[in-house]
This record gives sequence, structure tokens and C-alpha cells, in this order.
Amino acid sequence: MKKPKNEDVSLDMTPMIDVVFQLIIFFVVTLKMSDDKDTTIKLADGKNGIVLTQEELPPSQLTIDVSRSGRVSLCNITLTDKMLEQKIKERKARYGAEFPCMIRADKNTRHRDVARVMNICAACGVWKLSFVAIQEHKSKQ
Amino acid sequence: MARKEYDNPKAEMTPMIDVVFQLMIFFIVTIKQEDIFSKLNANRPAPNSGSEQKEENDTSIKIDIGTEGVVFNGRGVSFKELDSHLKRLSASSTQSIVLIRCAANSPHGFLVRVLDTCNKYKMYNLSIFSMD
Repeated sequence: MKKPKNEDVSLDMTPMIDVVFQLIIFFVVTLKMSDDKDTTIKLADGKNGIVLTQEELPPSQLTIDVSRSGRVSLCNITLTDKMLEQKIKERKARYGAEFPCMIRADKNTRHRDVARVMNICAACGVWKLSFVAIQEHKSKQ
Repeated sequence: MARKEYDNPKAEMTPMIDVVFQLMIFFIVTIKQEDIFSKLNANRPAPNSGSEQKEENDTSIKIDIGTEGVVFNGRGVSFKELDSHLKRLSASSTQSIVLIRCAANSPHGFLVRVLDTCNKYKMYNLSIFSMD
């Protein structure tokens, strides 16, 4: 009586393996490993702004990072003013001047550095700009 | 011979459960919740276009941002006072143009705070200028 019972247990491995694979796949899909933004930037609070959702971030959007020291970067790649101008012009040629252009600047960045980015945008004909702020703190810091 | 391998399958479950728990603990520890972000829209007129002079009339609200704080229509105010001023003005009209002038050395956080306050009272006609 005892032996056949043990033999049946071996069949229980299959759902277990299924669960493990499901877990692995779930986490691999949800986990974002690469940092496509400047993580040193500490954003200011903006409770009353429009909440940024995935729908608010179409492929046409451009997020320009400005660090505290004034480093301008896109997807964590430092750009010179000329390169930024070229990037904006490229976007404008593809999507028109109405593409969402967002500036992620540190709360302690001097306005001078932000103004430099804004001037490049305005010179390219992109007047509508957005500033990214934190609506609600979730990460503990 | 093949049958013998199935004889003590119970012992093989333990490492499997261990692995599952290890995986779960690893992912729970490494996963970090992201902040919820918001965006504050504003207009940036083209530099040297002279639109600043053109748009400046009596109906517009002027907010200057310096290194120490904000100046509202020529008077130095705290952020709290700015909030109540904008609340009062928004009660009559939310359509008025708000001209925001920033000093080159002012921190960006002040600008975001002013924009946020304007957004709070549904004033979306915001233009940002820079002072040298």
C-alpha cells in the first residue's frame, strides 16, 4: 500500500515546474534592468500635474534629462547642444512640432542650464514643453 | 531499473521548494516600486522674438523667480502667499496669461513649484522667460 502512494507523488512535480517557470517568466518580463534615464536626478514635487501614464508616453515623446551639474542627456547618453538640436529637429521632421517634449531636471539644477535646453527647443520651433515632477512618492529614499 | 528512479520522489521536492523560495525572495528584494510622475505643461516662446513685450499687458500675471524666492506682480511673496494670490485670481478667471520670469541662478525646483501651483488652480496659460 505504501509503495504505490510514493509512485504517485512523482507526478506532482509537473505543476511545480510549471509554477517555477511561470514565476521566472513573470519576473523576467516585469523587471526592467537597464536604466534608460539619469538616476542621479532628484525631481521636485508636483502633486497637481497631469499624471504620467504609459498612454502619456507615446513613441514620439522625447525626455531630456538635465542633471544637477547641468549635464544634458537622452537615455543616459550625454549630448552636446548641437547634438540635442539635431535630435529635436529629427523628431520634429517625423512627428511635427506637437510631439511631447519633456524635461526631467533636478530640483537643484540652476535655471541657466534648463533655459539652455528650452532655448534649443524653442529655436527648433518646439514651444510646448513639459516638466516632469513627482506626483506621489513610492520608492523609499 | 527505470522504476527505481521513481521510488523516492518525495526527497526531490525539497530542493525544488528551496529554489522557488530563493527565487521569490530574490525578486521581492530586488524589485523596487517606481514613483508616480506627473507632467507640468508650459510654453517657451522663441528667444529674441519680442513676444515678451507684446504679451505683457495689464491682464497678465507676472511671477518672477529669483534665487531666494518668488516675486508676484512686483511684490516679494512666500510660496504660501503665492498660492492664495493665485487662488483669488483664478476665482475670477483661469484664462489669464501667467508670465514666469526666472533668474539664471534660481533653482529649477522653484519653477516646478510655481508651475504646480498654477496647475492647482487650473491656470494653463503659462509662459516661461529667462533673465540673464
